[in-house]
Amino acid sequence: MDIDDILAEVDDSTIPQETRDLQELTRTWVNERSAPELLPWPAELMDRVLERIRQQISLIEDRTSSTDPKSSFTLIILQTELERFKYLTRSLLRARLAKIDAFPLHTLTHAPTRALLSPSELQYATTHTAILHRHFQNAFLGQFPEGLRKMDDSSGGVNMVEGPDLEKAVFVRGRREAGVVIGGEGVGKEFLLGKGEVVVVRWGVVREVVGRGEAELI
Amino acid sequence: MALLLPPGLTPSETAFLCEMEMVTVIPRQRLEGLNLLGGPTPPLNPPYRTPLPLWLALLLKRQRRANILPPPWLSPHSLTAILDLEKSSPSFSPLPTLPAHTTTSPPFLPSATADAPPDALPYHWLELGEMLLEAASDDIAEPDTVRRLMRDLREVRMAKMRAGVGVLEGGQEVNMNGVGGMEVAEGRAFILGVVDGLRKIGASKEMSRREREAEERENGIMGGEEDEEDDMDM
Repeated sequence: MDIDDILAEVDDSTIPQETRDLQELTRTWVNERSAPELLPWPAELMDRVLERIRQQISLIEDRTSSTDPKSSFTLIILQTELERFKYLTRSLLRARLAKIDAFPLHTLTHAPTRALLSPSELQYATTHTAILHRHFQNAFLGQFPEGLRKMDDSSGGVNMVEGPDLEKAVFVRGRREAGVVIGGEGVGKEFLLGKGEVVVVRWGVVREVVGRGEAELI
Repeated sequence: MALLLPPGLTPSETAFLCEMEMVTVIPRQRLEGLNLLGGPTPPLNPPYRTPLPLWLALLLKRQRRANILPPPWLSPHSLTAILDLEKSSPSFSPLPTLPAHTTTSPPFLPSATADAPPDALPYHWLELGEMLLEAASDDIAEPDTVRRLMRDLREVRMAKMRAGVGVLEGGQEVNMNGVGGMEVAEGRAFILGVVDGLRKIGASKEMSRREREAEERENGIMGGEEDEEDDMDM
């Protein structure tokens, strides 16, 4: 971390927490929508945002009882913004669900991926996989010979459990004043991604810098 | 229920993102400051200019409670200059110079307010321009000229995007500096499809190359020892 980044953080601290949370939520949403694999569950951020949404809903419910025409316009603004926030959180959750649904067994058996789930997502994935497995068992797997019934067979050198393609290309933008070094050992040519610069590159090359927040997907 | 959209923001999601950009409004009515979920908004006192997020500015504009002051780059003069710049270079025109010492990125940069730099297109230029032309064309000087220049710019830049596909190579990074949000959303499926396709074709070639290299390395380092072992065996 260099002086510019420290200054940037000092500058950011003058921005209200709510605004910073909106920016972080937006960035999390865009990253999650663009990355080929599941990203960490932002537990603290989501707790704050969901709590605020709850408060705003009850505030709006309280105010709806008054019939003052002036406050009714304020109410429209509050409701419009509430819907925007709800859309953002819902789209984030649904993007995560889509990834869990796409690779349920990988999500549950690959320990680093499993650790990225929120408690409710873990419950969903576990229950959903169990129901699906039971259904397959009753529908057709039960009639197969014993040796062919497994859903996660890896014998013969080919693993049945499919995971996301980490080498998919993504659009990345640099976020650090001094630039961020991308590539290096074993992942291709090394280059510097300056602030605001955009490149198309394999996800595997940038997943770490995106995880650290030094670059973002677009 | 799980999302059925492909990875990466779609054009309508990009427009949603763009609505978080700050614009400058001139209020026509008083409005107290509001405690929104995304932070407090300043109180509106006509005729003082106030920065507001685009979605709120559009809401006020539709109800004729405020006028939107278009960003300086959205004017015939600036757009003509930027168009000339775009035509003179094979890469996209550079993004506006960012205010120093902030890590925020679009849509949270002040690139569409009344004091934004007049000589560069910001990340969300296309969506923002279109939205303002649609909802607030009476606030924009010479809206028809602006509309025509926007269309010219879009065509010049789209041609660059298409020409850029020629340099796409499997495994290499592709520079896209200055690209706009909507341009990414529209071109994403094609560009990423080409990059991924080339990578898959190149992967088999790459693998055989690596295997050969590893073999050569192994032979180089291990060569002596192997000889010794062979000798001992004998």
